[in-house]
Formats: sequence, structure tokens, C-alpha cells
Amino acid sequence: MGFVNDVVPLSVTGRSPELDELLTSVARGDETAFERLYDRLIASVFGLIRRVVRDRAQAEEVAQEVMVEVWRTAARFDPARGSAMSWVMTVAHRRAVDRVRSAQASSDREDRVARMGGEVAYDHVAETVTTRLEGERVRRCLDGLTELQRQAVTMAYYGGYSYPEVAGLLKVPLGTVKTRMRDGLVRLRDCMGVER
Amino acid sequence: MNEEIHTLSGAYALNALPLRELGEFEGHLSRCETCSIEVRGLRETAARLGAAVAEAPPRALKSRVMAQIAEVRQEPPQIEEEPAAEVVVPLRRGKGRWALALAAVSAAAAVSIGVVAVNEIRSRDASIEQTQSLLAAPDAVVRKVEMVGGGSATVVASESRRKVMFTSELPALDPSRTYQLWTIGGERIRSAGLVDGGGIRTATVELPAGTDHFGVTVEPAGGSQQPTTEPVMLAKVV
Repeated sequence: MGFVNDVVPLSVTGRSPELDELLTSVARGDETAFERLYDRLIASVFGLIRRVVRDRAQAEEVAQEVMVEVWRTAARFDPARGSAMSWVMTVAHRRAVDRVRSAQASSDREDRVARMGGEVAYDHVAETVTTRLEGERVRRCLDGLTELQRQAVTMAYYGGYSYPEVAGLLKVPLGTVKTRMRDGLVRLRDCMGVER
Repeated sequence: MNEEIHTLSGAYALNALPLRELGEFEGHLSRCETCSIEVRGLRETAARLGAAVAEAPPRALKSRVMAQIAEVRQEPPQIEEEPAAEVVVPLRRGKGRWALALAAVSAAAAVSIGVVAVNEIRSRDASIEQTQSLLAAPDAVVRKVEMVGGGSATVVASESRRKVMFTSELPALDPSRTYQLWTIGGERIRSAGLVDGGGIRTATVELPAGTDHFGVTVEPAGGSQQPTTEPVMLAKVV
């Protein structure tokens, strides 16, 4: 069936039992299920990684590592402990954060950008109305936070900063940042109607 | 519930904990059901923040990934731990601390089934036998070491047998993390394999010549070439 990028954006609300089933099938070595899971999740995975690492070529590398890791370790997914989407996105975020924290010292970074930066065959299928609507909803929920809650959550999640780094950048006490991250996420959770 | 550590759930769900606190919090998480439930909900929430910035990658990425997975072996499903009660461990006659250490280590080895050890999953009997043989070595060094985040580990090493055995209760980790074992000799740090958490784990690994320390770190799943985090356990083996 070729590699047509039939990207279906994730729904921001509600859990997808279909994704959970796909990931469970992947754990049994089902490559077709993996391909479908890829199509469903790759735009979210790549978008998040790109937001954290910024550099497009590096984001591609990390996204590839993440998807291969999903394939390799799918047996560890336990639907009783969370959704497939959350599991995959956690892997993606961890890898992205590891990359920015370790790449700070890496000198071959510019070389890599120069080497791989020429690739321009982007795919815009994912930029559908749905994505924009879901993004809109998340932004509305973010707007409902206090300024400090919003900064703490987004600097950690999209910026890849640890909470002591966030505290340093915002010049607020560590304890304050810790609680704002938690309160902010709790408020987002309730705003988005995430199942508990 | 410890209120102080509990407030870390937000930072944890955002992967914003420094490594020192990460081990500590994950240890706490394995014992705190309320915290696990909260973290689950916050993780789901964070995932939606990620989905909100979706962006399509180049098409070529998919062919690269599909080609690569065709060559990557999948991890087998986790093996359930068997009850340890049926196992009778014949203890040799020993004196004082040695007898105690042997009893403690053998009992631990008896429930160490879920280990993804370096190369293979060892049978329970082989593991106990190995432990006993290691302890019987004239130059065996037995150490009880504190684990960062609570609990303790027993490390038995013998230079003549060229083996080191490690046993400890290892808290469950997030699927994207793994425990990694290291042998350290001077400047040289070698990986000695990966171990999953979630119970009492025992692993026996080769002790390269010149090794003076044995350590355990938490690494990204799949392991690292060299340790990237502070050890959760570090023991002298000479």
C-alpha cells in the first residue's frame, strides 16, 4: 500500500480504544497494526518533538528513534495504566527532552543540520480543520490558567526545561514552580475533560 | 501520603524532574496508589498538549521507520513472577554474617524471575546455584548498599570467579526508562546489561579485570552507551 501519509490527527478529548488495540497488536509483532498506529500518531509525535528540539532534522531523528522504540517495547504497554496515546507521547517527550539536555554540549549539531537540512518534502495533510479545532481547545484551556501556571507548564512541556530551570528562568522559588505545574495540569485536565 | 513529595506529580508528568528527584519520586510512586492515579491523569493531559501542536513530518520518515522495524527484534512480554514459597533453598552451614548473607541473597534470588538479564532469562535454580558458588569463592566480597530513593541492594563480587551479582528490589519505571548495570574500572565504564523494575531483581554479570565499582543507573529504554544519570546505587567490589 505504499507509504502514503494518511495522517489522522488525534482527538484531544476522550480515549481511543482503537489506538489501545492497535498498540496491543503491535506488541504481538503485527506490522500492519504498527503502520496504522504510525499514521494515527506520527503528526502528534513529530509536532511535539519538533516543538521541544526545534531543529527539524534532529526532530526527525528523534521521531524515528521514538517510533522504533514503540515497536520494540510495545509489550510494556498496559492499557490498565493509561492510554496508548499517552504511552507513546510520554516516550516521545522523554526522548525529546533527553536530546535537548544532552545536545547542549554536542558540537556536531550544526554539522548535522547542514547535512540534513535540505530535505523539504513536507506533507501538509495533517493540517486539517480538526487539528486546528483541537489546538484551539487546548489553547482555550491554557488561557484559563494563571500566568505563572501557564508558563510553568509550557516551559516544562514545550521547552523541555526541568522545574529548577523553570524556577531560575522565572525567578520564583522552587516550591512555587512545583505546585504551579501540578495545579496548572490539574486545571487543564479538568478543562479538557480527561478521563481519570 | 507525603505532601511534599506528592506535589512533584505535575513536574513528573511533564518530565521536568531532575534525575536525583526522579528516582526518588518513582520509588514513591510504586508505593502510592493515589499518586499513580493522579500521574496517569496528568500524563493524559500532557499528551493532549503534545497533540495540540501536531505537525506532519516528511513522508520519507515513514519508509525509514518501516524499514528499520523490520530489522528490530521486539522485547518479549513481561514474565509473571512465580510464588517463591515452594522453593526450598538448601543452606550450607555457615558462620554468622555469611550464613545470613547467603540466606538473604538466596531468598532474593528465588523470586528474581522477571529479570531481563544480560543475555538470557536465567532459571531460578541456576540463579541460586550461581549465587551460592559465588559466595563460596574465597575472595567473595559481599556488600549491602543503600539505594537512592530507599531500600538496599546486596552486591556479591568475586575477582577469581570474575562475576558480580546484584540483587535488590527495583521500583517499576516508566516504560521509556530502564535500569542499566555498569562495571567501572578506573576511567573505563562498561555496560553490563539492562534490568526492568517492578519487583526484586537479581542479575549476575561478568566482572572485567580491573573493575573496582559496580553501579546501577536509570537510562532511556534501550540503554545508553555510557551512564547519563547519577547512579541509584554504587558499590565497591574490591
